[in-house]
Amino acid sequence: MPVGEDFALDYERRFVKAMKRKFEEDPKDKIQTHIGMGIEQSERKKEFRDAGKKIAEERGISGYDPMLHLGGIPLGQRVLMPYKLSTTDSYCEGDDLHFVNNAAMQQFWDDIRRTTIVGLDMAHSVLERRLGKEVTPETINEYLHMLNHAMPGAAVVQEHMVETNPGLVDDCYVKIFTGDDELADEIDDQYLIDINKLFTEDHAKQLKEAIGKSLWQAVHIPTIVCRTCDGATTKRWSAMQISMAMIDAYHLCAGEAAISDFAYASKHAAAIDMASFLPARRARGENEPGGLQFGLLGDIVQANRIYPDDPARASLEVVAAGVMLYDQIWLGSYMSGGVGFTQYSTAAYTDDILDDYTYYGVDYINKKYGGIGKAPATMDTVIDVGTEVTLYAMEQLDSYPTLMEDHFGGSQRCGVGAAGTAISCSLATGHAQAGLNGWYLHMILHKEKHGRLGFYGYDLQDQCGSANSFSIRGDEGAPLELRGPNYPNYAMNVGHMGEYAGISAAAHYALGDAYVLNPLVKVAFADPSLKFDYSKVRKEYAKGALREFSPAGERSLIIPAK
Amino acid sequence: MAEYKTQYYPGVGKVAENRRNFMNPEYELEKQREVSDEDVALILGHRAPGEAYKSVHPPLEEMEEPDCAIRELVEPTEGAKAGDRIRYAQFTDSVYFAPSTPYVRAWMMHNRYRGIDTGTLSGRWIVEARERDVEKIASDLLKTEVYDPALSSMRGATVHGHSLRLLENGLMFDMLSRTELGEDGNVYYVKNQIGEPLDKKISVGKPLPEEVRKEKTTSHRVDGYKMRDDEELLKFVQRIHKLRAMAAYQLKIEE
Repeated sequence: MPVGEDFALDYERRFVKAMKRKFEEDPKDKIQTHIGMGIEQSERKKEFRDAGKKIAEERGISGYDPMLHLGGIPLGQRVLMPYKLSTTDSYCEGDDLHFVNNAAMQQFWDDIRRTTIVGLDMAHSVLERRLGKEVTPETINEYLHMLNHAMPGAAVVQEHMVETNPGLVDDCYVKIFTGDDELADEIDDQYLIDINKLFTEDHAKQLKEAIGKSLWQAVHIPTIVCRTCDGATTKRWSAMQISMAMIDAYHLCAGEAAISDFAYASKHAAAIDMASFLPARRARGENEPGGLQFGLLGDIVQANRIYPDDPARASLEVVAAGVMLYDQIWLGSYMSGGVGFTQYSTAAYTDDILDDYTYYGVDYINKKYGGIGKAPATMDTVIDVGTEVTLYAMEQLDSYPTLMEDHFGGSQRCGVGAAGTAISCSLATGHAQAGLNGWYLHMILHKEKHGRLGFYGYDLQDQCGSANSFSIRGDEGAPLELRGPNYPNYAMNVGHMGEYAGISAAAHYALGDAYVLNPLVKVAFADPSLKFDYSKVRKEYAKGALREFSPAGERSLIIPAK
Repeated sequence: MAEYKTQYYPGVGKVAENRRNFMNPEYELEKQREVSDEDVALILGHRAPGEAYKSVHPPLEEMEEPDCAIRELVEPTEGAKAGDRIRYAQFTDSVYFAPSTPYVRAWMMHNRYRGIDTGTLSGRWIVEARERDVEKIASDLLKTEVYDPALSSMRGATVHGHSLRLLENGLMFDMLSRTELGEDGNVYYVKNQIGEPLDKKISVGKPLPEEVRKEKTTSHRVDGYKMRDDEELLKFVQRIHKLRAMAAYQLKIEE
């Protein structure tokens, strides 16, 4: 049997500090005294109330009115608790973590949606073999000069063209990267994503071997374009501007057949989407959240680059990224509408709770198996690590009533408990399917311990999930890295998919892999010029919550000053 | 061949035993309080006491239904015979040793009642049935050992409370304050399950003593009966997980 409670005695609980601040009462007391305070206890709710009054007066149509809640009983009959962004010292109100109220969260998604990675080798082959043109580092630099003029929406071939205001599209640019150090040395620094400088020596070696001598463009079209159009616009916008820049840089005929080769390569043959398109019943084009594979999110998030020796930390940043994208934005708004999904998601990246469960698992793994990634990828390991972390997590809910109140819904409790369990199994074994299997072990143990689980959806996927966690054939499942929000059982259930992304990433981070699924994506998002810093997801969310994050795509240049 | 005896639930601990009792229709639930049929109707809030049941079809015996083997096999419930509409009862149970939990209630329904549709969430549990059947079920659930007046509560909406810390008087938190603790130590419903004020207070008796709660609970807790201590239950759940994982798609996995 697990070493259990004796082992847990020496473990310092990471969530206690947040519990004290949130509830201002003894975190282990099961009696609450701060009740009936209403919205007056919340600066944000009062701000909303005042804004609602002002809007109603100005437009003559009623709006936000917190006194309408439940027949006039306002929210805040219990503590309207603040939230601590895990691993940071920043606290905010729950409202600040809805993506509508958080510019950093919006930019997180904007920066993914507006990105496409386009190979240059195909275009260079056409130039050299078909047209007999010479391609050199100098011509590549000149091409990039033109492309960074054209990509935001400027003309390079024709005159008398309308153009976009550079001040509105200043977030748009193109950089390139390669595994060829000699070529990289010849590229102007302003255009290069330098693998050697951005990654550890080991990771750089892995990435350069995977990429080889091929040359890739990381294209980021304007945020404002994706917001007005959609994610599927990205590679179309990009391909048009790339073709125009090619004409200009290599003095081509605008009508010659080779131009269509550039367009085809940029839009299809050499273009990599961040997300694949979805079937008709979900009906979205490329680069929309429903098509973004879990493994790819582990590459977009850069925490393993910054914390290569702390795979747990890196995995938790992926969870934070995933729950916000998949639950708050995808399921919560694209698929469902409303505001409730935020409450599920925040549980996974606030108050150091998931961190606590996961690092408990890390301690257990280190002591029992001699380190991360060293346990055999067997059912016995999953059952051992999975049972221990599950019981630890659930016992904390018993021992700290404020923790139970923080995760006041069963979906929050079992989602976060299963995430800690599953990430621990991934970290122990370096195997994503083993991690996923640990998730489902947690779920059925959780249900039997408490006699309750999550909302109805948890009955759907979590009580049959054991049976598909090792299925990797295409018509039955897939390796977890290749699954995504459109995987049949995952398509409607909040509180899971971000965690799955973290589980798949954890297995690779545990083994010191530089990337999870795609080395090109890993390198593209290492770019420090991006608006959102993907190495510190939770810290960026905190900046958004505290209204300190400066996003792109603002329209103040073209609207009346307020 | 030995006669099959339903086992209901694995485990050797007190929680497992209590779960078996609740699920086993042969086990007679201990009656702990009186709640009149009129008061049950008031708490439910679906019809005024004495008001006729609303129907959605004529009584079955007047319907001249076609010959059907299933109809002959299944005895309709009283509500179905009369053509009652479908109504609901919904309960919230505190994690702090309330006798019931959502899953236990659902398992209990499947073993003890017919003609019901039950829904199980983390913080509430609902049963839907023909109206007079719902009243009978709600009456049973309010009067017996599956209910603690302080820690169980009928809540149609705004159900939050199961996971929240308790009030200073020991009651489970309820944003709508549907129940209150009287000076006589009894808990009273002052609003119906959906939160509409009642014309009179309805007593559901005194809260259970803490030592009784810990003996009657169907939930494992570290400050009560621990799941770690029930090795049989743990092994059973692990076995189910392992069989599901390994049997699926005939996976060959290293033992």
